[in-house]
Amino acid sequence: MTTKARVSPPDNPTGNIIRDSNLGLVPETLESYMALNRAVWEDGPLSAAEVEMARLRNARKVNCVFCKSVRYDLAIEAGLTEDKVSQINDQHPSSTLNSREKLILAYTDQYLGDPGAISDSLKNQLLATFTPQELVHLSIAVAVFNGFSRCAVALGGMPDELPIMQISIPQ
Amino acid sequence: MSWITKGENRSEVMAILPDLASRFDCLYERLWQLPQIPATTLELCRLRLAQLHGSEADWQREEQPIAMARRAALPRWPEADAFTAAERTCLEFTETYAMDAQAITDEQAAAVVQHHGEDGLVALVEALGILDGMTRLSLLWQLPTRADTQGGITK
Repeated sequence: MTTKARVSPPDNPTGNIIRDSNLGLVPETLESYMALNRAVWEDGPLSAAEVEMARLRNARKVNCVFCKSVRYDLAIEAGLTEDKVSQINDQHPSSTLNSREKLILAYTDQYLGDPGAISDSLKNQLLATFTPQELVHLSIAVAVFNGFSRCAVALGGMPDELPIMQISIPQ
Repeated sequence: MSWITKGENRSEVMAILPDLASRFDCLYERLWQLPQIPATTLELCRLRLAQLHGSEADWQREEQPIAMARRAALPRWPEADAFTAAERTCLEFTETYAMDAQAITDEQAAAVVQHHGEDGLVALVEALGILDGMTRLSLLWQLPTRADTQGGITK
């Protein structure tokens, strides 16, 4: 992965993490992107802690250093702890996470790995545990997060490591 | 229909969350109006993603009109004369993006910038994020293909 930035971000910083990113170079989609991101956090039935677990699983699989370093404050307020975050790894099936959390990670892995090969067993577990609304919410959240993180990776300029930073939903 | 809802396509599945669906639709529609990247180029990239992921449902979709000869030539785009240099550049970028965004080379990114500018490169990766995501969701949701319903390419 290149650490060289492939584009230069907007010249006039606003203090908003998304507006000041490379996404700010495409104003035609910026507001729609931000509105969709807010809706993922605010307009779906899953808790913010559950959404954050899917986001962090994606971040680690895609190896987006920016995404991995972020913690959304509303997820922490909803009960996400660093102990739980530390279990978002390849050993999650045998972790102490609860069954809903493990299924969220399994569904995220299926999306990232081989989405066409989802098993009947996993589908049945998901249907027994989540409402259809929750599953569609999770699906859209993972798709949006994956798009964001791949965008960051593809545009380069990623440091090797960043400290954990707590943020609010960019408005 | 999908195993999650009775929806036959993406819009019908997403419709159970209308607020999220409307936000998504707004962004999706804007992708096809971007001044930085021609809509036909994005459609070629979307179709190539459908081929690479093996999504028949997305291959059968039509977001922008593409001649059947150009659709048919997509698997051999490097040597086919049906594509412009700028389209080839974006298709090459798309193929690497689909496999592993970390594997995109500086040369591939610079080639897109040469044709479409820095904002064009950002526009392309934004669009690929959504298009790749929708292809993955079609597969994950097991959306039916037209052969399962009524046949043909859908707009």
